Amino acid sequence: MAYRGGGGHGQPPSAVRSCVSPGSLSTCRTRTHNVCMVSDFFYPNMGGVESHIYQLSQCLIERGHKVIIVTHAYGNRKGIRYLTNGLKVYYLPLKVMYNQSTATTLFHSLPLLRCIFVREKVTIIHSHSSFSAMAHDALFHAKTMGLQTVFTDHSLFGFADVSSVLTNKLLTVSLCDTNHIICVSYTSKENTVLRAALNPEIVSVIPNAVDPTDFTPEPFRRHDSIITIVVVSRLVYRKGTDLLSGIIPELCQKYPDLNFIIGGEGPKRIILEEVRERYQLHDRVRLLGALEHKDVRNVLVQGHIFLNTSLTEAFCMAIVEAASCGLQVVSTRVGGIPEVLPENLIILCEPSVKSLCEGLEKAISQLKSGALPAPENIHNVVKTFYTWRNVAERTEKVYDLVAGEAVLPMDKRLDRLISHCGPVTGCIFALLAVLNFLFLLFLRWMTPDSIIDVAIDATGPKGAWTRQYPYSKKGGENNEMSKPR
Amino acid sequence: MEDERSFSDICGGRLALQRRYYSPSCREFCLSCPRLSLRSLTAVTCTVWLAAYGLFTLCENSMILSAAIFITLLGLLGYLHFVKIDQETLLIIDSLGIQMTSSYASGKESTTFIEMGKVKDVVINEAIYMQKVIYYLCILLKDPMEPHGISQVVPVFQSAKPRLDCLIEVYRSCQEILAHQKATSASP
Repeated sequence: MAYRGGGGHGQPPSAVRSCVSPGSLSTCRTRTHNVCMVSDFFYPNMGGVESHIYQLSQCLIERGHKVIIVTHAYGNRKGIRYLTNGLKVYYLPLKVMYNQSTATTLFHSLPLLRCIFVREKVTIIHSHSSFSAMAHDALFHAKTMGLQTVFTDHSLFGFADVSSVLTNKLLTVSLCDTNHIICVSYTSKENTVLRAALNPEIVSVIPNAVDPTDFTPEPFRRHDSIITIVVVSRLVYRKGTDLLSGIIPELCQKYPDLNFIIGGEGPKRIILEEVRERYQLHDRVRLLGALEHKDVRNVLVQGHIFLNTSLTEAFCMAIVEAASCGLQVVSTRVGGIPEVLPENLIILCEPSVKSLCEGLEKAISQLKSGALPAPENIHNVVKTFYTWRNVAERTEKVYDLVAGEAVLPMDKRLDRLISHCGPVTGCIFALLAVLNFLFLLFLRWMTPDSIIDVAIDATGPKGAWTRQYPYSKKGGENNEMSKPR
Repeated sequence: MEDERSFSDICGGRLALQRRYYSPSCREFCLSCPRLSLRSLTAVTCTVWLAAYGLFTLCENSMILSAAIFITLLGLLGYLHFVKIDQETLLIIDSLGIQMTSSYASGKESTTFIEMGKVKDVVINEAIYMQKVIYYLCILLKDPMEPHGISQVVPVFQSAKPRLDCLIEVYRSCQEILAHQKATSASP
């Protein structure tokens, strides 16, 4: 968040660490927020968005905020659960439509969401992922209820095909009156600003983070007599597997002591197998197939050089993980990749076989001459770049900023919708916004806010989980909480 | 010792909580809802009958009118006998167990008894109920197979659905008795 607006390209994020050290956080805290993270994607589903929400929430709790998560029910996992450190998760019984995303009518989730927002005294709604219908629903309802809204976009989109045209229109409607938007890299920011026709001023960039303790170097695991190049990615067109199939034979002919380890699965695997067959490289090119996230580190530490051949990328986590394991990274210069690592840790090439081979040869010669820094040193540098604590700190600044802003009143919101989203869509959604508001008035008449019980805080400034007393409600709840996990 | 306080349920209706302390080891909590009011009875009857008259003018069959009378009468009887619970009582005796009684408006009573050996704990839990998220009091039963497991969750005050302040009141008293029971069973 610290670099709002344009400029500041390529600056390593470690430069914006604030003066506060973790120990003195509670003393310089000015205000705390009650944050509600909403997304269709959360554990037990696995993926980048899920772990992002979980890690960010944990770090925000550590900084003294109250955080709850709202998602939809996964099979038998429904109701209210508590995770580590009193992170409360609502698994709402809503119908799942497609790809773990809920069906939306724009109205049916209002009663439940309103009840949660009121009883948890939520002040900021933070929605994640543009694929999640529930996230957009929550934004819509939150604006109707007059709460502050923040949205994090996790992916890049195209502009050409029908599905992206429709999603982009929806995103325009959903984001035009959202208080603040967070993207994971400058490329992603540019993409989102163009897609949703936003004012770049309200878009911040906060990169993802890795857990540096998960990706530690282990130089003894690799053989120093030969050079090993590691590739870990899904084997699809977008990740540049075709380039890889051009690079392998060329370099293997040139360097007899060169091996490849390739982790990942995908439709393009067949090309790599063909190459391996044609040039008789079975002993030098190992295809590992699909990897679980916990195994990635064990594969990475076996190599000297990490190769990334992506053709498009919002923010490449793989190269950060590789660098954290102490590997020299060679990558294509596309999307948000040039922003990710400083120049001395990465060799950037054009996305072509020739340029990538040159980059790899440079890396190999540096390795042979011993000019590369030790893995331990690389790890120590990289581990300061992308930490969840830093992400939480910067997200907190967005919350502070948003909390000071005013939520658009109804008439301004309607104006904004009509003027911003085109005459037809704008009018339709303005009408829906009015209907939603009437529905909210009806719900307020049916069950006034005063009748909804305020929930006992598990986290935050008055968090029950930080104190222990035997005969209060907490003692009983604790018993219950230990059950689900 | 006996006292009575008034609370509200999750929809805003009035509830009266009577507490009777017979001895330090025996307490009774009694939640009573207001009785069926004449106004709502009249409203429901009028609606059914008006609908019946509407149908009657359309198809001119007097069977509809008599059917409407029967439906209202049977509905009222069924409602009073099977649905409407006037009073829910929770009796807790530390050496014996927990007894839950619900009395229907017709006078019918149904009683459940859980012996103390089976009770693991009494807790307040949260649940999603209809379009709301509510707190409720429940009794956790021990799993005979594994000592730390929970075999069943028995909700208390299911029809009255009191709000959190009332639940905390009952919860505290229950915990006092459970603690008393644990202390006496540990040092005989």
